[in-house]
Amino acid sequence: MGFNKFFKGATEIGRAMGVTLKHLTQKPITVEYPASPVPLYPRFRGKHELRRYENGMERCIGCMLCEAACPTAAIYVEAEENDPNHPTSPGERYAKVYEVNLLRCVFCGDCEEACPVEAIVLGSEFAMANYNRRDFILTKQQLLNPGEPNVVIRPE
Amino acid sequence: MTTDLVNVTIDDRAVAVPKGTLVVDAAAKLNIEIPVFCSHPKLDPVACCRMCLVEITGPRGPMLQTACSVPVAEGMVVKTNTPQVKATQEATLGFILLNHPLDCPICDKGGECPLQDQTMRYGPGISALVEPKRHKNKHYMISDTIVLDQERCVVCWRCIRYLEEWEDKPQLGLFERGGQTLIDIQPGQPVNAKTSGNIIDICPVGALTNRVARFSYRPWEIERTASICTHCSVGCNVRLDSRTHKLRRIVGRENMQVNDQWLCDKGRFAHAWVNAEDRLTMPMVRKNGELVGVPWSEALQVIADKLQAIKKTNGADAIGGIGSAKLSNESNYLLQRFFRQMIGTNNIDHRDGGDVAALATGLPALADVMKPQYGPNPKVDTIFLFGVDPSEELPILDVHLKRAVRKGKAKLIIAHPRKIELTRYQGPYLGYKPGTEATLLNGLTAAALAAKAALEAKEGDQPAPQNDVSAVEQLLRDLCGVDPAEVKRAAEALAQSSNALIIYGPLVARGEAGQNTLHGLTNLALATGHYERLAYVGLEANSQGCRDMGLLPHALPGHAALDDKAAKQRLQTLWGATLPTKAGKTYKQMLDGAGKEIKALYIMGANPASERPEWTANLDKLDFLVVQELFLTETAKLADVVLPAVSWAESSGTFTNLERRVQRAPKAVRDPHSKAAPDWMILDHLATRMGTNWPYAAEHGITAEITKAVPLYAGLTWEALGDQGLQWDAKALNVQPTSQEATQQNITLYEEYPLSLVSGTVLFDDGNMFRRTTQMKDRIMPALVGLNPADAAGLGVVDGTPVIVRSAHGELTMAVKIEAQVQPGTAWIPESLPGAPVGALLNGSDIEHVRVQQK
Repeated sequence: MGFNKFFKGATEIGRAMGVTLKHLTQKPITVEYPASPVPLYPRFRGKHELRRYENGMERCIGCMLCEAACPTAAIYVEAEENDPNHPTSPGERYAKVYEVNLLRCVFCGDCEEACPVEAIVLGSEFAMANYNRRDFILTKQQLLNPGEPNVVIRPE
Repeated sequence: MTTDLVNVTIDDRAVAVPKGTLVVDAAAKLNIEIPVFCSHPKLDPVACCRMCLVEITGPRGPMLQTACSVPVAEGMVVKTNTPQVKATQEATLGFILLNHPLDCPICDKGGECPLQDQTMRYGPGISALVEPKRHKNKHYMISDTIVLDQERCVVCWRCIRYLEEWEDKPQLGLFERGGQTLIDIQPGQPVNAKTSGNIIDICPVGALTNRVARFSYRPWEIERTASICTHCSVGCNVRLDSRTHKLRRIVGRENMQVNDQWLCDKGRFAHAWVNAEDRLTMPMVRKNGELVGVPWSEALQVIADKLQAIKKTNGADAIGGIGSAKLSNESNYLLQRFFRQMIGTNNIDHRDGGDVAALATGLPALADVMKPQYGPNPKVDTIFLFGVDPSEELPILDVHLKRAVRKGKAKLIIAHPRKIELTRYQGPYLGYKPGTEATLLNGLTAAALAAKAALEAKEGDQPAPQNDVSAVEQLLRDLCGVDPAEVKRAAEALAQSSNALIIYGPLVARGEAGQNTLHGLTNLALATGHYERLAYVGLEANSQGCRDMGLLPHALPGHAALDDKAAKQRLQTLWGATLPTKAGKTYKQMLDGAGKEIKALYIMGANPASERPEWTANLDKLDFLVVQELFLTETAKLADVVLPAVSWAESSGTFTNLERRVQRAPKAVRDPHSKAAPDWMILDHLATRMGTNWPYAAEHGITAEITKAVPLYAGLTWEALGDQGLQWDAKALNVQPTSQEATQQNITLYEEYPLSLVSGTVLFDDGNMFRRTTQMKDRIMPALVGLNPADAAGLGVVDGTPVIVRSAHGELTMAVKIEAQVQPGTAWIPESLPGAPVGALLNGSDIEHVRVQQK
C-alpha cells in the first residue's frame, strides 16, 4: 500500500516536472510590456483616431452621424461652414469641435460604421489611463494626431 | 361656405368632402398618404413634379392623374396602391434622383427631408444612372440669409410660388430647360422680400437652407419648444430648436388664427442675441464710479435700502418704474404690483404706454383678415391703415393684407405720411403732412357722411341736402397736402363697405395730437358704422398685454380706472395692500422729470437713453437708477445697479398679441454658466427684501394670479392656453365710444426748417437685438435721410451726399437717400438707425420740422 502510494506520487511529480521541463525549452508567453509591444488582433478596437486625406485635408465633414449612432452619447460634434479659400475638409462642412468622452465610450465601433467618409476609426492604442477626469475627453487636436499616423486599419 | 358634399371612393373607402376639394386632400381625410413634392396646402397647385399620380376612374376608364390638381367629382373612384401607381412612383422618384447629389451627410435638410423619406418609402432603391451626375451651382447665396443648392433642387416651384402668391414679389424664377432647369434670382438682385425665409420651410429638399443656422443643428439632436416670436405684436407661432443650452434655429409653427405658418426674416433669423457673448451674467453695483460685479444678495439689498431711503425722504412719487412691452405679462404684472404695493406710487409705464391714445381692445381678429385667402366670403372687405406700415412694422400682417387684397378682393385705404409699400395696390392713398391728422380725419368724416347720404338717397330716392364742402376741400389741399378727390374715394369706400377694418398705430397716436387723432377716427368710424372694428395696434410683442396688466400710470390691471372701486377692492384683497390713488407719471413725463421731481427709476428691459440725448443727461442726474437688462445698454451704463435678466427663450411667460390672443412662450434654453435670473424672480426676491412675502413658486403661479387680478383673463391659465393661445373677449370690456370734436393743433412753421420730419419704424434697424445677427448686418438700414426727388433736386443733393439734418433741438449727420416714396416737403428718418437717433431731432415733440444742408 505504502509503495503504491509512493509510486503514484513520484509519477505525478515526474509529469509535473515534465511540463516544467517542456516549457524550459519554449519561448516565454509573458510580454515585457511596455518594453516590448503587445500583439493585437487585426480587428481590435482601441482609442479613436480621426483620419486625413493624402493631401492633408481632414476627412471628417462634421455630419454628426457618429454622434447619432453612438449608443452612449460619448461623441460631441459641432459643425461649421468651410472657408472656401482655406477649406479644412472637402465640401462645405467641417467639424469645428469633435470630442470623444473615453469614460463613456464602450468601444463598440458603431461610429466607424456610421461614418460616410471613414474619418473616425478605432485605432490600436489601448493604454488610456489618466490622472484627471477631464483628460479623458479627447479633443479634435488629439484625435487628429495619433501616435502612429494613418496606419491602415481593418482593410476589409 | 358651400355645403355641397361630393362622395368619392379612395382605395375602396368612401368619403364625403366639400365640392372643389383636391383628391390629395380628400385622401388625407382618410389618412391615405399620397406622396407629393410640388403640392403644398398653402399654395396653388401646379402638378409639375408628377409624384402624386394616382389611378382615377373616369368616363374613359382608369387613368393616371395628378391627385394634387384634380378636384373631386361625384362618384369618383381613386386608387393609390395599384401596381401601375407603384411603378409610376418608383419611376418618378428615380427620375427626380437622377441628378440629385448624394450629399445628405452635409445637408441641413437630412433627417427631416421629404425627399429622403419618400425615397425610402416609394423609391426604386437603385439608380439607373451610371454616367456622372450633372453639376450646377452649390453654396449659392440668393440673399444674405438663404443658401441655394441648385443640384439638390427638384424644381417643384414652391419657392417661386410662395414669393408670387404670398409676397407678391416674384424674385425667383426658372431658367434654362429640361434637365438643365434651375431656380435662380434675377441677375444681381438678391431675394429681399421681408418674409423670404419661409421658402426654406416649404422647400421639400435641401435646396434652400438657412444660412444663420447653417450646420449648427441636426434634426435628431435638437429639442423643440413650441413658442412664439417676440419681435412684433403679431405674435407669430414659432418652434425654438435648441441643443446644448443654445438656441440653434427658429422655424414657423402653424396657427391658423395668427400667422398661418409664416414668419418674417427678423423673427426667423435674428436670434443671435439670445446666445450672445456679451450678455450680462452677474449683478453689478456702482462702486467709486465703476460698475463692479457683486452677488445677488448684495445687489438686491442695495436696491431695497436705497429705494426705502428715497421713499422716506422724497415720498413714493419720487420713484418711478418703467417696464417694457418686449417682456411677458408676468414680468410686467409683477413690476406694476411691486410699484403699487411696495413703493406705493402709480408712476409706472412703458414706451408708447400712457403717452399714447390707444384703444383697449386691439384688433377684432387676425383671422378676419386671413379669411379671404381660404373662403369665398371675406369677413373684412375694406381695410383702412392709418399711420401703420405693416411691411416694416408687422410683416406677417403685411402678408395677410396682400393676400386679402389679391385673393379676397379687399379694398386697401392707406393714410401715411410716406408712400408705404402697400400703396402699390392702387387703393386710395392719402399722403398727408405729419401733424395734420385731425384735419384729414375731419375731411374724411365729412366726405363719408356725404357719401353715406348719397347712398341712402339712391335707395329712398330723395335728394340729400348738399353741405358746402369747398372749405373742407381747401383745407385738405392746403394744410394736409392731400387731393380731395382721393379723400372722397377713400370715404366712399368706407361708406360702402359693410365690414371695414380701421387700424391705427403709435405713429399717429402719440401725445396731444394723438388724442385728436383718436377723436377723429372715432367720429369717422361712428359715421361709417365701423366702430367695432376700429383698432389701435401697438408695435411691440406685448403692447396689448402691458395695457391689460395695468402697466399704465392711469389704469389698474384690466383697464380699470384708478378710482374704480370694485377693481381696487379686488386688488387690495388679492395683494393685501392699499393702493395709491394719485395718477402717476407717464413714460415721457418720468424721463423728462428724471433728476428733478423723479429721484429714482427702476427700468426693466427699456433703453430710453438710446432714444433722446436729453434723456441720457436726465438719467445721469438721478439719485438712483436700477436697470434690469440683457445687455449693458446705453441706459444700463448709467445705472447704479444693473441686474442681469434672461430673455423670453430662457424663462416662461405669456404674451398678448395685437388681437388680444394670449400665447405661451415656455422656457426653451438656459445658460448654465450665467447667474442671470428671470424678471419675476428678481422682483419677487426684491419684494422679500423689502418686507413682504409673495407666494410665487414659478411663473405659472403668476399666470394664475393674473387670471384673478384681471377679470378679462379669467380662465386663461397656463394649461388652458395650450399651443395656440386664447383670445380674451373684447365684449367683456364693454367700451362705449365717446364722440368728441377732433381739433387741429397749430403747426408752427419756421422758414429755416422747411421740411416736415417723418419718423417710424423699419424692420431691419440697428436695434440692440437685431444688430447681433452678423449675417444680416448688410440689411440694416444705414444712417440715411429719405428725401423726395423734387426736394433733393432743389437742395442739389444726390444719393449718398453727406448732409446735416437740423431741427430746433439738435442735428444729425447722415447721407441722402432719394426715394419717390417720401412725399414732397418731408424728410424720412426712421428710429434706431446706426449712430443717428432721430430722437435728437424730435426731443420729445412728435411733430418737428427740419432743414437738410449739404455738409
